[in-house]
Amino acid sequence: MFRILRGAGGERVFRVATLSALALLALFFIGIIVSLLAFTDWHTFLAALLSEEILFAIRLSLVTATVAAVISLLVAVPVAYAISRASFPGKDIVDSLLDLPIVISPVALGAALLVFFNTPLGGAIDDNFIRFVFAVPGIVLAQVTVISALAIRLLKSTFDGIDPRYEQVARTLGCSQPEAFFRVTLPLARDGLIASAILTWARAVGEFGATITLAGATALKTETLPVAIFLSLASADVEKAIAVIFVLVIIAVAALLAIRRIIGRRYQI
Amino acid sequence: MIEIKDLSLHLGDFHLADVNLSAADGEYFVILGPTGAGKTVLIECVAGLHRIRHGEIWMDHRDVTHCAPEERNVGYVPQDYVLFPFLSVVDNIAFGLKQAGLKNRDAREKVQKMAGLLGISHLLHRDPRSLSGGEKQRVALARALAPSPRILLLDEPLGALDLRTGRYLRLELRRVHRELGLTTVHITHDLMEALEMADRVAVIQNGHVEQVAGPEEMLFHPEGERVADFIGAPNILDCDSCRDLGQGIMEVACSGLKLTVPHEGHHKISKVAILPRHIYVSRTRPPGLSVNGFQGVITAIKPVNNTVRIWIDVGETNLMSEIPTYLFDEMELAVGQEVFLILRMRRIRVYESRS
Repeated sequence: MFRILRGAGGERVFRVATLSALALLALFFIGIIVSLLAFTDWHTFLAALLSEEILFAIRLSLVTATVAAVISLLVAVPVAYAISRASFPGKDIVDSLLDLPIVISPVALGAALLVFFNTPLGGAIDDNFIRFVFAVPGIVLAQVTVISALAIRLLKSTFDGIDPRYEQVARTLGCSQPEAFFRVTLPLARDGLIASAILTWARAVGEFGATITLAGATALKTETLPVAIFLSLASADVEKAIAVIFVLVIIAVAALLAIRRIIGRRYQI
Repeated sequence: MIEIKDLSLHLGDFHLADVNLSAADGEYFVILGPTGAGKTVLIECVAGLHRIRHGEIWMDHRDVTHCAPEERNVGYVPQDYVLFPFLSVVDNIAFGLKQAGLKNRDAREKVQKMAGLLGISHLLHRDPRSLSGGEKQRVALARALAPSPRILLLDEPLGALDLRTGRYLRLELRRVHRELGLTTVHITHDLMEALEMADRVAVIQNGHVEQVAGPEEMLFHPEGERVADFIGAPNILDCDSCRDLGQGIMEVACSGLKLTVPHEGHHKISKVAILPRHIYVSRTRPPGLSVNGFQGVITAIKPVNNTVRIWIDVGETNLMSEIPTYLFDEMELAVGQEVFLILRMRRIRVYESRS
């Protein structure tokens, strides 16, 4: 059936078709945002934004997401490096296993964590070490669980893109293996590290499913920004929900712009 | 000094089989072989980048077979140089010095010295990504030499450079080698490069060392068919008289041909050699002034792999030329035909009489 689309005419039809799809999707997103703007006025928006509850949610989200991003990067750097460089039997299986949190629904992950803390071991940790269930550390744990797989995936592709010969040359210049890693590989991975830090952090800010399942949705206690949207809608407070949505949109846009800038100046030699 | 004893290694598609080689103190040792012969793997073994299960590597009477690269004190210049893109040229050169714990002032002094030796003092504050191939090569060399290694390993150091830069750097490499007296292992697939630079050459094919010899012996007495095939049976002509034309150029009469050759020396030229692939054949008279251009008659034609060998009667001798098959097909040559040929002046090797 594509035979009739041969030649310059077909080229034009194809270009119009793909560009229309793009325009349609862009209009869809713009429509959503415009409808949000139409629904609220500047005054109520500001009042909702500056309410104690929302300010608390912003602060809690920023703090938990930052802690979660730092923890997951600290875990993801060695893990991603190991998967990228080492070869061991069963590597493919381990590799796929690490992708599970990306494809599994976050609610399921949160529920699994909740179940874990009801086992004797989990219960002992929760009672004697740090309280996770329905508490702020639970938010961080839920976020780490969801985003560390993402961090590993992003960092693995960063390490994959770094020629191992850089490390080899560093070693002939007197570096031990760890020294070569810190003096050469990490600096080479810098852009990838920053990009994955921003992306995982933004994903942590938006995390909802695992957070609400493990840490609950207590106003002014475990209320992150997404949880605030949920609670606002549940109490039919649409203005407040819209205010939070805009905060999340602004954070997301800022994160994406930052990543664009970083990826725009990749190392090349 | 380096000794490689019975080294065997399998690594993906590459393998080395019972490699035995040794390079003496201060020797410029060239490992010559076609792409995929295992040259890079071999040099990487010496650098300590592969775990060795069979065989031994000794350096200065010390067994380093199981030593990590950082314990071997080798300078390594990989193909494509692998300069650190996040460091300036000066920091690239200082990398090994800082690792060795040199104070900033001492390191700076050493970097200046290395940069002076290699003529890159004006590049020190540049970004390595902005350098040309020849400049990168010198920076990589300076970086490898700065920590004063005992041994220098060069992986196809001139391979990625254009012909003129490569030719110039050959002389530079020899000069640096002379000044530092460093045991050097240089790998290449280019026969002329090997013959021009080496104190001794090892020919390696399919992971086997086929022959180790001085460049002249390698050229005139290749051992076995595979080496002879790879070296490609040079045309060797005896010369009767020569005349100095000045500016490093000489005119020699060899087997009835008056050849112009680059040569600076006091001795008489006894022989010249030129590889078949450096003799150009044409049906029509080449335009313009042609140095070493002659006219001859084709006596035989024989296809070999992707090339065609053509024997031509010229002067009092018979020369063999080798041209790519696609060129041969375009030219429609036949036995008995009269052709024009050019012996590329810069590719003629000259041998002085010993007396």
